[in-house]
Amino acid sequence: MSAGIGLRAVHCRKFLEARPALGWVEVHSENYFGAGGYDRHVLGRVRRDYAVSLHGVGLGLGSASDFSATHVARLADLAAWIEPVFVSEHLCWGAAQGRHFNDLLPLPHSREALDLVAKRIELMQDALRRTILVENISAYVEPEGSEMQEGEFLAELARRTGCGVLLDVNNLYVNQVNLKREALQTISALPAACVKEIHLAGHLPRGELLIDHHGDRVAGPVWRLYEAALERFGPVPTLIEWDTDIPPLEVLLEEATKARDALAA
Amino acid sequence: MPSLLEAQAQFSDALLGRAGPPGMAVYRGNVFGNWSQALAGAYPIARKIVGTEFFEGLAREYSRAHPSASGDLNQYGARLAEFAEVFRHTRDVPYLPDVARMEWLAHRAYYAEDAAPFSLEGLGESSRLRLAPPCALLASKWPLARIWAVHQDDYEGEIAVDLNAGPDRILVHRPKWRAQVRALAPGDYRLLDCARQGTALSEALEAAAAEDPGFDPSLALAGWVDAGVITL
Repeated sequence: MSAGIGLRAVHCRKFLEARPALGWVEVHSENYFGAGGYDRHVLGRVRRDYAVSLHGVGLGLGSASDFSATHVARLADLAAWIEPVFVSEHLCWGAAQGRHFNDLLPLPHSREALDLVAKRIELMQDALRRTILVENISAYVEPEGSEMQEGEFLAELARRTGCGVLLDVNNLYVNQVNLKREALQTISALPAACVKEIHLAGHLPRGELLIDHHGDRVAGPVWRLYEAALERFGPVPTLIEWDTDIPPLEVLLEEATKARDALAA
Repeated sequence: MPSLLEAQAQFSDALLGRAGPPGMAVYRGNVFGNWSQALAGAYPIARKIVGTEFFEGLAREYSRAHPSASGDLNQYGARLAEFAEVFRHTRDVPYLPDVARMEWLAHRAYYAEDAAPFSLEGLGESSRLRLAPPCALLASKWPLARIWAVHQDDYEGEIAVDLNAGPDRILVHRPKWRAQVRALAPGDYRLLDCARQGTALSEALEAAAAEDPGFDPSLALAGWVDAGVITL
């Protein structure tokens, strides 16, 4: 499957005209939860010629309360229709006390969180009748209560549930700066076979922190970390994400070409 | 060590408060930015009417009064009209709540199920009519159809709106992919309102004719069926 891009609404028309040579495209699942309309129509057309993966941004696998079975059911309907190559979710929480934050909030790597997230993954995999991928997130504060490293946590989730890992290399780098977590340590803690997809995106320095804004080209240190990841995991399908200040489609395709070259090297 | 439930409740309070490390401010910015962007996407006309800066403030107050209840941001903002009615800073824009009502219907229409093709054949007097999924009706004392028209990106011409030109009865529908708004004559409004309620065909046509002496039942029915607004 080589390299792909996250397909966003602003690029759809251009994408359908240009039909770029790409391994696959990924879309945010929730954008297609509606029963009909233009976006779904376009996704159906894209699907005729490309593999599509569904990337969830709103479920919150680790929300201790307010986890929505309806959300899972909508995703299952969407997946039944689009027959995605991957379905992924983030290792995060997103709602508490009846309020959704519509953001990816950090979980401690605790045994309690592991049990909860494993249970939710199993619930999802039952509803979708397939395995899913779980992605490591970027974070700006270190949640209290971790009892293991991120890599161990992800590896244990994969072992218990059979889920795969979507490794976001930019997030590893952002967390190395923000939370002083060793990116290479996480990479080496993950069994090679469980990493099924890689994400690359841009970040933005702000004060002491790096903001995971998906609004720039992939940074140099992230490309180098990506090479280290490929060395360990082999040529894993790699996706370029861009969500703010979205440039012309060509810029995303250039980034995807860089990833494709690294995969072929 | 707090449980996950307790820790998330604490984090959630911190997000809604002002204190905490620099990282917490990043989360606040992201969270509010996502909500605000979702509202701006659903309410482009309300945003143009009150201005970008004011709309940001409105979005902030709205997020406190009516928290997001779904992980799907396209569901966020359903109660903006209700909020604009009680928000003290929008009192001098009395038509804003109805504009917001109209825009929410258009937002929903955009994502609604595609209307299935349907023909007049097979329609009997006792057939119960239905409004096609992307369609909705709204009655307002304000000239909503005109407000909608002058705020479209491709609109050319006089932009002044006579706010006394209402009342309007409007249909929000989606002929192809874009939501549209049109003003309805009283008979048509009655017919479509009957369809919304699932009234039988003969009864709906009678009610519409009683409302409007100029109403032509067969022409109206054929027109709305053809437009994909009325279905079975």
